Amino acid sequence: MAALGRAALLLSLGLVAYALVGGSFAAWKRRRRLALSAQNALLAAFATTLVAAIVLWIALWRRDLSFVYVAQHTSRSLPLGYALSAFWGGQEGSLLLWLLVLTGYSALAVWLNRRSRDLVAWTVPVLGGVGVFFAFMLCFVSSPFDTAAAPADGAGMVPSLQNPYMLAHPPMLYLGYVGLTIPFAFAMGSLLARRSDERWIVATRRWTLTAWTFLGVGQLLGAHWAYVEIGWGGYYAWDPVENAALMPWLVATAFLHSVMIQEKRGMLKVWNVTLVALAFCLSVFGTFLTRSGVISSIHSFSQSPIGGWFLGFLAIVIVFSVGLIYLRLPLLKARTKLESLISREATFLYNNLLLVALALTILWGVVYPLLTQAVNGTTRSVSKPYYDFFLHSFGLPLLLLMGIGPLVAWRRASLRALGKTFAIPAAVAVVTGGALLGAGLGSSLPGLLAYTFSAFVAASIALEFVRGRRATGSITRLVARNRRRYGGYLVHAAVVLLAIGIAGSSAYQTVRERSLQPGQAMQVDGYTLTYESLGTRQLQNAQQTSAVVDLSRGHSHIATLHPGKSWFPVEQSSSNDVSIYHDPRNLGDVYTIADGIAKNGTLDLKVLVKPLVNLVWAAGFVFVFGSLVAMWPDAVEQRRLVERYAALPV
Amino acid sequence: MKRSPARLVIALSVAAVLAIFILYTSIAGAGTPQISPSTLGQHHGEDVLLVGTVVGHVAGNAHAGGMRFLLKDDHGTEPARTRVLYSGSVPDLFRTGRQIVVEGTLRDGTFVAKPGSLVTKCPSKYTPAKSNT
Repeated sequence: MAALGRAALLLSLGLVAYALVGGSFAAWKRRRRLALSAQNALLAAFATTLVAAIVLWIALWRRDLSFVYVAQHTSRSLPLGYALSAFWGGQEGSLLLWLLVLTGYSALAVWLNRRSRDLVAWTVPVLGGVGVFFAFMLCFVSSPFDTAAAPADGAGMVPSLQNPYMLAHPPMLYLGYVGLTIPFAFAMGSLLARRSDERWIVATRRWTLTAWTFLGVGQLLGAHWAYVEIGWGGYYAWDPVENAALMPWLVATAFLHSVMIQEKRGMLKVWNVTLVALAFCLSVFGTFLTRSGVISSIHSFSQSPIGGWFLGFLAIVIVFSVGLIYLRLPLLKARTKLESLISREATFLYNNLLLVALALTILWGVVYPLLTQAVNGTTRSVSKPYYDFFLHSFGLPLLLLMGIGPLVAWRRASLRALGKTFAIPAAVAVVTGGALLGAGLGSSLPGLLAYTFSAFVAASIALEFVRGRRATGSITRLVARNRRRYGGYLVHAAVVLLAIGIAGSSAYQTVRERSLQPGQAMQVDGYTLTYESLGTRQLQNAQQTSAVVDLSRGHSHIATLHPGKSWFPVEQSSSNDVSIYHDPRNLGDVYTIADGIAKNGTLDLKVLVKPLVNLVWAAGFVFVFGSLVAMWPDAVEQRRLVERYAALPV
Repeated sequence: MKRSPARLVIALSVAAVLAIFILYTSIAGAGTPQISPSTLGQHHGEDVLLVGTVVGHVAGNAHAGGMRFLLKDDHGTEPARTRVLYSGSVPDLFRTGRQIVVEGTLRDGTFVAKPGSLVTKCPSKYTPAKSNT
């Protein structure tokens, strides 16, 4: 079995190497049949990588402990679902997932664009080149198919990974990370082919959108996972590994916006190829961060030899992209220029600058320990206050821009027209801000600003729908007629929900901690929590001890909570089982953690009251819905674009 | 049309100013040093992140009177150890032999940790220790 896996990976390496070398030669010499065979090699590489993946899955399913990978990440008592998800629980499997998704995406992208021969000619070798790196790593540096004498039982899986989210969160993130390769490859392929048009953007718009959606959803799933499973009461900790996923997402967000300028006005060409390269570099950098252990993280990974390889690959990617963009600068001249600082283009530019500034400040924070170590010998690190400061200084203006940008006219807008457009949203914002201040929410200035700006954006989005409906007669027809625009508005609405949820659950949360004996109670923000008793029960692979805590408000009982701890004998560790009550009254949570359970029955209970936190998760659904609307195939628009490009000089 | 490059320059300079701003604030303002037990002595009274491995017996209650334990350098062999006094939430993975990070200040030979600042490094989310395979 292991031999089959190894053979399949070697074959994949050969195929992607062929796509790189043969594809380059074919594109250079314009050999059509060779180019076709290079494309087919990419398709075949997906098939062979799939075989390798299936071999690993079968080994995990059978708990074939002679596979070192299986022995290290599963145990005989581990439930099947988690055993299968151990595929991405370890480094070797994660790399295999990278290659599987990469070859799958490449095959599909090349297949869908097979008619645009000139467009894919140089894209195939770029995709092949990225594939070569990962296939090489899997064959010679970090193979999931190493075998050894089977131990009596495997090492098992870290308890906090034994959660249904383990089935969804890592693959989602990978679908996002790896998906950024496709727009990168098309952009570079287009530059290599000396094309100066926007065809690569049209060909990859949905890819970028898909990758970006997966990355966003993956992060929200991870956040929710941390929230319900890790048991510290939060969902984002500015940890380097979390930041590693956020940075490419922010840059991809900037890219999604700025390509519209290039499509409509032929501006920002250099900026766009730079962004797409930056997004890809950040996704490789993210993988490097999570693998190399150079930066200490709560998700820490012991030092591993693959860090150096990733750094080398990253260096090659950076040199290649920067060099290529520099060589092709003459091709990337803008068709038009920015006419006014008050125009749609200008607001997009501000949005881009802010998003990239936010991503780069986060990057600075992440690598800061390395830089200080190199400069003066002591490692210094930045933490929450640093990130919060920049989130407030860049994120809040971004939120405000989200309400302004879509309503400003292209090219040049007059202040007078703007005044008219924004009269209602501004009034709504002022009233909301005043009301919240009156309600005592002035305790947090960022929170108050976030809410006021959110009201402004929500009002301007609602107004757009109202105006549009008046013009077309029905909401569905309106959305169908311009899916990108209204899909975008829905995503903006999701960001507003997210902002409200984050502000509510961080700026306005209440935390209390107390040691309780059975029968004792504590008060938190209007709730009464009474510790009643303690119970234990045996789960499939763990022993669970949980408290019975009665939750009431005033004199009425609302819910019974069961915060506790589980002990996993195989893994020799315990995990927190938090218990959460979702309060429909304020869309928030009463979040309870059994911080300590003493032998005499004393419970150290930590309670967090987090108003509006459920909007963060609701935002996820709106986000996905909005993205789907925006990426849904649109025949009218496709036709419009084809006509546009037919008219353009090549 | 003629004036627009100037505007782009403005936009770019805004970006540059922001960049300088970032450099400035993070070098001058933020940043907590990460210190291992062997070099902690040079940072008496300063707010630091102490990084190390838990050794010996863990005593006391983190929720009543504080938990006490010893910390040594992660990779060090010399017996440089620091006494740590900690109260607040204790992560599930905390125990003797684990690598931890805790924020606080060295006072009279004891590292007094900020409540709730204890973080354990997850021993193997992705990578098992390669040395024992």
